[in-house]
Amino acid sequence: MSFKVTRRKFLQTASIAAATLPLAKVVSAETGFVRDPFTPPGSFEGTQTVTGGVCEMCFWRCQLVGKVRDKKLVKLEGNPKSIDNGKSICARGNAGIKLLYDPDRLKFPLKNVGERGKPVWKQISWQEALDECGSKLKAVQEKYGSQGIAMFPHGASAKYPMDFFEKVVGTHNVSEASFFQCRGIRDSAYMSTFGVAPGESVDMPNAKAILLIGCHFGENVHVSHVKAYLKGLENGAKLIVVDPRYSASAAKSDIWVQIKPGTDTAFLLAIMNYLVQKDKYDKEFVEAHCVGFEEFKKGISHASLDWAAKICDVPAKQIQEVAELLAANAPNVSIHPGRHVSWHGNDFQRIRAHACLTALLGAIGVKGGFVKAKGVKVKGISWPKVAEGGEEHNLKLMADKYHFAPPGTPTELIRDACITGKPYPIKGCVVWGQNPMQTIPNQQRMVDSLKQMDFVMCVDVMPTDITMYADILLPEACYLERYDYIKTGTQWNFADKHQQYIAPRMPLVDAMFERKDEVFITNEIAKRMGYGDKIPVNTLEEKINKELAGVNLSIAQLKKEDGIHIQDGKDPYGVSEDFEVQLYNEDLEDNDYPAVPTYIPVEEVPKGFTRLVYGRSPVHTFNRSQNNVWLHNAMPVNPVWLNDEIAKKMGLQEGDEVSLVNSEGVKSSSKTVVKVTPGIRKDTVYMAHGYGSRNPMLTVGVNAGVDDQELITKMTIDPETGCNGMRNNFVKLVKDGKTLDIPA
Amino acid sequence: MNTTSPQISMANIFRFLAQSMRYPDAEWFNEDFWSVLINLLEELQWQEDKAELTRVKAGSKDFLEDVQIEHTRLFINAIPHVVAAPYASVHYKGDGTLYGIIAEQTKKFYREKGFALAKESDLPDHIVYELEFLAILANEDPEGQKKFLKSLFTPWFEIFKSKVLEEAHHPYYRVVMNLIDFFTREEL
Ligand code: SF4
Repeated sequence: MSFKVTRRKFLQTASIAAATLPLAKVVSAETGFVRDPFTPPGSFEGTQTVTGGVCEMCFWRCQLVGKVRDKKLVKLEGNPKSIDNGKSICARGNAGIKLLYDPDRLKFPLKNVGERGKPVWKQISWQEALDECGSKLKAVQEKYGSQGIAMFPHGASAKYPMDFFEKVVGTHNVSEASFFQCRGIRDSAYMSTFGVAPGESVDMPNAKAILLIGCHFGENVHVSHVKAYLKGLENGAKLIVVDPRYSASAAKSDIWVQIKPGTDTAFLLAIMNYLVQKDKYDKEFVEAHCVGFEEFKKGISHASLDWAAKICDVPAKQIQEVAELLAANAPNVSIHPGRHVSWHGNDFQRIRAHACLTALLGAIGVKGGFVKAKGVKVKGISWPKVAEGGEEHNLKLMADKYHFAPPGTPTELIRDACITGKPYPIKGCVVWGQNPMQTIPNQQRMVDSLKQMDFVMCVDVMPTDITMYADILLPEACYLERYDYIKTGTQWNFADKHQQYIAPRMPLVDAMFERKDEVFITNEIAKRMGYGDKIPVNTLEEKINKELAGVNLSIAQLKKEDGIHIQDGKDPYGVSEDFEVQLYNEDLEDNDYPAVPTYIPVEEVPKGFTRLVYGRSPVHTFNRSQNNVWLHNAMPVNPVWLNDEIAKKMGLQEGDEVSLVNSEGVKSSSKTVVKVTPGIRKDTVYMAHGYGSRNPMLTVGVNAGVDDQELITKMTIDPETGCNGMRNNFVKLVKDGKTLDIPA
Repeated sequence: MNTTSPQISMANIFRFLAQSMRYPDAEWFNEDFWSVLINLLEELQWQEDKAELTRVKAGSKDFLEDVQIEHTRLFINAIPHVVAAPYASVHYKGDGTLYGIIAEQTKKFYREKGFALAKESDLPDHIVYELEFLAILANEDPEGQKKFLKSLFTPWFEIFKSKVLEEAHHPYYRVVMNLIDFFTREEL
């Protein structure tokens, strides 16, 4: 460009007169400024402490305070009033600020004027976005029925819209895949054994022994839970860790059982059989509370120590040692129920074994055992159930399988219907805070499901892999910018004074850009779908206030109380007379599932391959935090753990760059580095989950490390629950373009 | 003939430039705006830019939508990634996130001059606000304007501008970048 005129000359020319260039006429009347008499520094430069934050960098929901300087959130800390996490928060909790101010976050409603998967985005108004969502969803409903709409929700903000689609619109096709694939099996298995979902309710601070099957605390960090675990160790609890890998927990263990992946049920059966055979179980408890002991005893009688030793590839003596240690410390033992438990497609049975072992040891309602906290209940306010149609289009019932599935419809059944159109078409999709591209195995099936839809909308805080498939993408206020979930609970250590707390999430700063909350978005869509008269509350704030009113509190009161209301609690110990443990479960029998915990073998590792297992990184909450600058810098890639002897045979060294390919020929899109260690079995490799996003909108997280999920293409489905086992994929490593066999 | 002082004209120019960086919608991104832009280029004798813009507009089925898509891609969210978020702190003196140190310094500067953002939760270092503020200063405080340009605007704008010039698919934002550069550079 050649500048013909200088600025000075330009400004001095006569033709700048308003007639030629009516600049002022084509600009908006208002600017973004108001006059604000200057107040000297000091009065506005001080840092304020704002209370009422509830963290959601993971779902433990620690209570926070925000340090706010001149409307900017500069630091997050634990709320000193908290009797849960206290002043502590973890690395992810701290890094919430970087999520808040992440420039890649969604800011305005976007419309995809390109293709699904290859989007071309255009900012549109909320009015236009909501009109489009409302009319397109209504059109799907009119043409295909309510069942033609599927929803994938996740997180606290997704509950209100989920209730709308289930109870008012009337679709069963709601799959909270991340719950489903995470804790769902655990909850169903405990329901079928104890009649209650277990949470993580083990009294670790007061235990004499703690058994962790696969739990890797220290890498898996939930603040008050880790405090409880560490308190237990500090108080002298013996720790048994069952894990193919020398995890952070294994490093603190008294006994590390380096088990062959997939065989944990055999291990547990052998322990239970040993306790029964040797009369080392709690007879009194079993007599008083357990159903079907004789059937159970018979059902596990084959599980000798040698039988399990062979299957699990661990010494029989070590299994015996574990059984003895548990028996010696019973009933004050914490058999941890686990958290993310969908591993091998035989998981319901394994988790039933956790519960049955707990009962055999009489470790229920006693110090150190399985103890449910006595918290306070705050009743939620949501949509009324008005949809008719009953169970007519319930895919789970139609398929007559997965009779013990967690609530909602198994993702696989929804995807089957999407892809085949049978038993009916599903043509509208609402994704709310979930990234089913990474939470459910076999991404191609997800892509195929989405591509055939008439309409796809996503609501999220950040762009994720799934949002690339949205027609309309709506920006949601994040947990630091909105009212929301009311967190309740008790003091973390039952040895301390019994107290209860109520802590609603309150915004620490105002929502920036045009981000909105779930009540606004859902209500506006509801109005446009003809359900305006069913709206239960007009704002999120009203919802929280109404819910709090049920326990004689209000937002105003909570503000006065620094964000947390604390009241006297109740002693959680003891077990009610009618508490029943189904060692043998008739309902399971009636539906042709094993009624007594049973080991179902998993596929062996094929020659030349190794099994891929995954877990948590302490600084990430899976893909939710991939794009966080601080967290990314703390652990930028997820090294693949490889046994040192195997590495030597393969000529691989610490730090070598590799990609992975699975037994079905699927290659990882990105690379990671090798971590050479004796701390992993020879038949297994491990990596942290939640890396290697392929979404280029995540400027920090894109292609950083390897996405293990991409390699999980082989499906094993847990027969009782329909959840996907995700540790049955086998891989080889690829270095410099050469695929390397894994030696035996 | 010129009845306005250069400062007043600069105020209008900054307002115009600020407007041109807002999200384009039919309300303002209309024929009136367009003719002012074209006339401005004419006055500046930027004939090539004028010709290119005119040609691209004539050849487009939906010119407004083209510019909207480009605005979204460059400044909001996009594939492969947002090219140049229009906030100082993403580009300068920080770790690439919003509301970094320069944003706080900018807000402080507004305050010291007796102004605040009407919507307090807005980010102070958005290019539209900075240009609007330059318009205010052009009227009231030429020395302040110089200082603002030197210490707060130009350092990040340089980086921002090169990103946009390098990645822009549409001539509109290239022209706007050059206009802002032209009117905010040190004396020529
Ligand atoms: S454990 Fe960490 S990330 Fe999870 S809620 Fe607590 S502070 Fe937040």
